[in-house]
Amino acid sequence: MNFATTALAVTLAGLTWSAQAQQITGAGATFPAPIYAKWGEAAKAATGLELNYQAIGSGGGQTQIVNRTVDFGASDAPMAVDRMEKANLHQFPSVMGAVVVIVNIPGVTTNQLKLDGTMVADIYHGKITKWNDPRIQEMNKGITLPNRAIAPVYRADGSGTTYVFASYLSAVDPTWKAKVGAATSVKWPTGQGARGNDGVAATVQNTPGGFGYVEFAYAKQNNLATAAIRNKAGSFVVPSMETFSAAASNADWANAKHFAVDLIDQAGEKSWPIVSATFILLPKDPKDPARSANVMKFIDWAYNSGDALATGLDYVPLPAAVKTAVRGSWTAEIKGPDGKPVR
Amino acid sequence: MSATTLSAAGAIPGPAKDLRVSEALGRSRHRRNMIVKALCFAATAIGLLFLASILATLVWRGMAGLSLTVFTTSTLPPGSNGGLLNAIVGSLIQTLIGAAIGTPIGLMVGTYLAEYARDSALGNSVRFVSDVLLSAPSILIGLFVYQLVVNPFNGFSAIAGCLALAVIVIPIVVRTTEDMLRLIPATLREAVIGLGAPKWKMITLVCYRAAREGIMTGVLLAIARVAGETAPLLFTSLGNLNWSTDLTKPMASLPVTIYQYAGSAFQDWIDLAWAGALLITLGVLAINIIARLVLRRGV
Repeated sequence: MNFATTALAVTLAGLTWSAQAQQITGAGATFPAPIYAKWGEAAKAATGLELNYQAIGSGGGQTQIVNRTVDFGASDAPMAVDRMEKANLHQFPSVMGAVVVIVNIPGVTTNQLKLDGTMVADIYHGKITKWNDPRIQEMNKGITLPNRAIAPVYRADGSGTTYVFASYLSAVDPTWKAKVGAATSVKWPTGQGARGNDGVAATVQNTPGGFGYVEFAYAKQNNLATAAIRNKAGSFVVPSMETFSAAASNADWANAKHFAVDLIDQAGEKSWPIVSATFILLPKDPKDPARSANVMKFIDWAYNSGDALATGLDYVPLPAAVKTAVRGSWTAEIKGPDGKPVR
Repeated sequence: MSATTLSAAGAIPGPAKDLRVSEALGRSRHRRNMIVKALCFAATAIGLLFLASILATLVWRGMAGLSLTVFTTSTLPPGSNGGLLNAIVGSLIQTLIGAAIGTPIGLMVGTYLAEYARDSALGNSVRFVSDVLLSAPSILIGLFVYQLVVNPFNGFSAIAGCLALAVIVIPIVVRTTEDMLRLIPATLREAVIGLGAPKWKMITLVCYRAAREGIMTGVLLAIARVAGETAPLLFTSLGNLNWSTDLTKPMASLPVTIYQYAGSAFQDWIDLAWAGALLITLGVLAINIIARLVLRRGV
């Protein structure tokens, strides 16, 4: 009885409370889920908006916004232009992130190993099979590499991380581009599949000689050994907020259609080569303009006040000029039933 | 002379008569028995070993993640010391409403099959469809409700999740209800009819009472089954980061939260996933124990 009364009180309190806040529902990519949750928590007090973001995957996010079952969709890979136009959607970036290469070589510490793009591609091609391969040894004079087989690991599930990583391999290796290409799921020439970032991280950790790719947050949170990679300018860069931001500032945002900018393999001395933005999709003709307006209000808050929270969780905030361009695009693209801009 | 011949001829032929042969046969049978017994024990041990190691890991990791905040705070972003309150309450609401929708339908269909349509063509086809539904992958049921409710009404909602769970409950209740009613002896039915009672009175006053424990067990097992379902909720009630008891809005649930937290990069989310898994396991275990008690009290 006592419990029932308490439960009832809690339920009623919850009902009145959720009635006050305006809910935004979004679904899609797994990669930005932690930062969206963080922004949602902080924005609740500041804006009165309650964000519910569910990580169902980039593909799911695109489908749900096409079906208009959510207020906004989220995707790591930019949406195909014809599909976006057919569904009458507006796409813009929210935040950026990086993919890093993780290794498990006994005796080699983090960022000690140096690799270049074609070598990473050749490991997944199955052309480089031993850690003491002459090409790796040549680039890593000074460290002793074991005569151990390389065990490449890849994402078995469809994933935005795979899309970003395979885009990088396609950019640096013409053979990769011709034979494998870039998609959320590709036909890996060799290696072992694992589910999710956590699966890849665990498999690499448990396999001496293991080699894989994960989102930076997973490498950092789990203290995985990463590799330094030679960028387009020819210098070896290690994964850090500084090298990620360098790549973002060097990108050609102005000429990117639908903000689908290519952040892969950017020029610049300090640029980390495997960086990508994650996107939000909004209907251009919202049936309920207030809900779309709330989404834009939320993102506007995140652009203004969310950068520190983003870097805290190892995401890369957008450059200020890009944020201004996105704000302008809202007015131009998203119109209510009366033809007036929603925001 | 005839007596001696008889005694010689009366001996039962075959090896069993010979003491050494029969002893050897006994030993070999005993050996074979021991080998098969050992194999049976080994197979059981392997099965139990996996179960025990899963439970031990679950308890070990789950206890580490359990704390009071799990029950007092809703889900929060990594590093904010969140809990699972919204997911626990969401799971309870959706499971109970799902069972409340599915049970009466299942009960009535089961009664129809057992009492009215035992061997009719319609009864057989209903039984067949129900059995197919029983083994249908639950993600398909989620997609079915997505197309039926979520897509046309432009939004995920807790009620869609409840409907998906109800569709899973129905065939389980149909099967147990029918089986339990069929167990009631024909003599009992004849006695009731013989006293001049109409058929509906026979079913509600006699058959249901006799089969009550069995039917209750079926309902409880159906609840236990849907309490741990993730797939049908992913595309119906979606999940919610915030506290919400509004049936027309997305609602959190334990399985979906576990599914999303288990693969994250952040240790506090992973710990919460383990704690949630332990809670579901304990809940399902409790329901199973209650179901057994109910059944035992009746028998």
